[in-house]
Amino acid sequence: MYDDINDELQPWVEMLQSSAVEDRLVAVKTLQHIGDEDAIAPLIDALKDEDTNVQKIAIAAIWELNNPVAIEPLMACLRSPDAEVREEALSALKELIAPADLMMLLDYIQEDNFYMQLNVLILLRKIHDAQALPYVLPFFESEQEELREAAITTLRYLNQIETCPPALALMNDESPIVRREATLTLGYLQDREVVELLCRALTSDPDWQVRGRAARSLALHKNSIAIPSLAQALSDEHWQVRKFTARTLQEVADESVIPDLIKCLADEYSDIRRDAATALGNIGNPDVLNALQQTLDDPDADVRIFSQKAIDKIRQKQTAIN
Amino acid sequence: MALTNQRVDVPVIVDESKCLEKCHACIEVCPLDVLVKNPETGKAYMKYDECWFCLPCEKECPTNAITVQIPFLLR
Amino acid sequence: MTNTQHLKTDVLVVGGGTAGTMAAIKAKQANPEAEVLILEKANIRRSGAIAMGMDGVNTAVIPGNSTPEQYVREITIANDGILNQQAVYQTGKLGYEVIQELDSWGVKFQKDTYGNYDLKQVHRVGKYVLPMPEGKDLKKILARQVKKHKAKVTNRVMATRVIVKDGRAIGAVGFDVRNGDFVVIQAKAVVLCTGACGRLGLPESGYLYGTYENPTNAGDGYSMAYHAGAELTNIECFQINPLIKDYNGPACAYVASPFGAYTANAEGHRFVNCDYWSGQMMLEVWKELNSGKGPIQLKMTHLDEDTIAEIETILWSNERPSRERFHQSRGENYRTHGVEMHISEIGLCSGHSASGVWVNEKAETTIPGLYAAGDMASVPHNYMIGAFVFGRLAGTNAMEYVEGIEHLEPDTDWLAAEKERIYKPMQNPDGVPHTQVEYKLRRIVNDYLQPPKNTHKMDIALNKFINYHDTLDLMGARDPHELMRCMEVHFIRDCAEMAARASLYRKESRWGLYHYRIDYPEKNNEEWFCHVNLKKENDNMTLFKRPVEPYIVDVNLAEEYDVKVTAN
Repeated sequence: MYDDINDELQPWVEMLQSSAVEDRLVAVKTLQHIGDEDAIAPLIDALKDEDTNVQKIAIAAIWELNNPVAIEPLMACLRSPDAEVREEALSALKELIAPADLMMLLDYIQEDNFYMQLNVLILLRKIHDAQALPYVLPFFESEQEELREAAITTLRYLNQIETCPPALALMNDESPIVRREATLTLGYLQDREVVELLCRALTSDPDWQVRGRAARSLALHKNSIAIPSLAQALSDEHWQVRKFTARTLQEVADESVIPDLIKCLADEYSDIRRDAATALGNIGNPDVLNALQQTLDDPDADVRIFSQKAIDKIRQKQTAIN
Repeated sequence: MALTNQRVDVPVIVDESKCLEKCHACIEVCPLDVLVKNPETGKAYMKYDECWFCLPCEKECPTNAITVQIPFLLR
Repeated sequence: MTNTQHLKTDVLVVGGGTAGTMAAIKAKQANPEAEVLILEKANIRRSGAIAMGMDGVNTAVIPGNSTPEQYVREITIANDGILNQQAVYQTGKLGYEVIQELDSWGVKFQKDTYGNYDLKQVHRVGKYVLPMPEGKDLKKILARQVKKHKAKVTNRVMATRVIVKDGRAIGAVGFDVRNGDFVVIQAKAVVLCTGACGRLGLPESGYLYGTYENPTNAGDGYSMAYHAGAELTNIECFQINPLIKDYNGPACAYVASPFGAYTANAEGHRFVNCDYWSGQMMLEVWKELNSGKGPIQLKMTHLDEDTIAEIETILWSNERPSRERFHQSRGENYRTHGVEMHISEIGLCSGHSASGVWVNEKAETTIPGLYAAGDMASVPHNYMIGAFVFGRLAGTNAMEYVEGIEHLEPDTDWLAAEKERIYKPMQNPDGVPHTQVEYKLRRIVNDYLQPPKNTHKMDIALNKFINYHDTLDLMGARDPHELMRCMEVHFIRDCAEMAARASLYRKESRWGLYHYRIDYPEKNNEEWFCHVNLKKENDNMTLFKRPVEPYIVDVNLAEEYDVKVTAN
């Protein structure tokens, strides 16, 4: 029933038609190990096997052959009711998909199937093509938070998109999972309100991960209007928010944040002591030298090393001025 | 030379009810080549206690018949 | 009666791991008409150091993040100045092309939202770490490319010796570890890619195969190159790595550290001053372990649930996935427990330190027609990317070398003698089992060679290793599988003797813990700023100094250490 099947493959291809699932499992596994291109047609047919284990091994075998003829049959597996089948197929497609497949993906995304839509949104991240934007936007208003989250995440992978007003609304999404991704995506957008929205998220979002990600996104914008909010966030109750804020203040800061940064030199978390010392070194005001000197006997080696570097940097700047 | 056979707790455990007689997947991939078929039952077993607990045997088994434990001395 | 198989190829690659698969692919690309054969004692689908994938690249030199010159500086410092900079430069220069090519073959490196490689700052200077959270199928992708390029593969055959005639490598001999056939392969060039000597020291658990390195890597290539007459170098620069105690595998602090995890002492404080993974760093770790602040741990308990879950996903699907069940069986969890860390048994591995078969920047050994790449070739701190780079150089240059060269017939007396040597344990099935012979040998390695090193102890070790030839003669094998292990014990003995002699020869301390001598605790650049090389001459192991090649990148070693660590 298949052309070009050589003698090594023949018995296993026949066994793949067996009514006993045990035989089909052995056959598909053996074909995977042989790894011969000529087995691609029977392996593609095995994607429709009634047994999901046979399907999964067939997907892995096809992925190993790396032949683009398998793309469409694998796309069909993305709507499988079996989570592992979908996962295997997605993993294989991540490798097989090329920019030329964009139009096909945009056809599939319109199919009314939750799993298909979710997986295509993920695959679009491999292509980075802004032509996908009109097909991604409707998902911002999806009923399902997973689709809203996937869509706002995909947005930041699309090249050449600088502004996107509908994305801003997701900063007020009821789901923290969606807001977390929206906060990261805003790091890459240039809409006029973006920095202000990120500052509000940094200081008032109830979810600490949103606040921490807001600090990280503000590091990309390096906009000085964020400095007062960053200073405030140095006293956030969650240590990772304080850490990311101290890091952002290494990129954008002025002398107004010095008192808050000095407080951080005594933070209970060593990462914050270390990152605050570096931020103080970057600001370069010699008034902080005393405070930095005191951290040179910190029990944590990283704090000592980075504090010394900050001190050296401030002194170098002084020498240069004098 | 006098030799003795000692009992040893081995890391690779095969569920014989799931192991398929016609299948050699685990035997083919084991880097240390420690798995063989029992000629009487056709089931795979760990013949040599030389395991790096690296897991290809477990991952490649089409029926999930294999469980790899961390060797007793390390566990 | 043993059956003999005769094979013939243009380029023979011994070992189908990271370097070997790449060497075969590149040799085929250089001349698709020529024949390339990979000899592999396991199955190339899952063999070598990356059998279960890799979770990241330690030494990615990517434009915009670092330069080959910066990389050469880092390695010069990390290896205390003793290196052939031209060879190290190749890894810096060609690494990016290797990554791009692997990417085109489907290897998934972490990328940022723009599709650029997402490098992580792990060291204080330079960005070299490129995560591969989906790197579990690396080996399958390489096996696929080997097949696509129509390189031949012979699985389950172990090489025991390189055949040398008229001063050049003309093939290899070995045997089938399943049916026991004697195998003679004639080749115009031989590329050795057999990995580290990972079964030199004995892990503290006492389990022979619970090693840091893949235990199939028993120093085969070190021994085969030695007997072929090639030079080996820096053998006294041992490999010692930080690891999860008892599990004896990497904790992958490089993977976890961008997420906020770090190595700390028992009090929870970071203690490492040294920036780059090196013998200096290991000396700091060793001192902390033996101080009042040990044991040490990989600390993640301060991280949140989502971050820990992400770290777990990566660590438990790549490189050494059984980490998960190790922690579980002890009822330990990253959320509540630090991972107790320790240092590994000693080994030889240029991938992590610097010991290996001498190669130049073309992957040539000192024997014409014999090439080496990967963990067994002497390019320091080469890791996975360096193995790919030197596999590539070895494959390409070997193919160029074989142009116009004819096969030579191996000497029949030599073949008969080697056959007799290999099969001797089979004549004595009730001889001492290889497990006991190997255990005792490696226990001696631990007792007398493990740093800190001391002349008296190493003299005892050397004497025991020389006399161990007689013990090897007592070994018995009941089947070809046991015979494979017996022959590996021969390799391990050779490596142990080399390790003892080279360590005795270099009368100074260097490379931190790797060559820390109690009786010569200081570095002595006046007399020892050189390689220590060794080779087989008239059946004797000869050691000699080899000058360090002129630098191509200027590095002032005296000024470069972040914080000086003096031996005390």
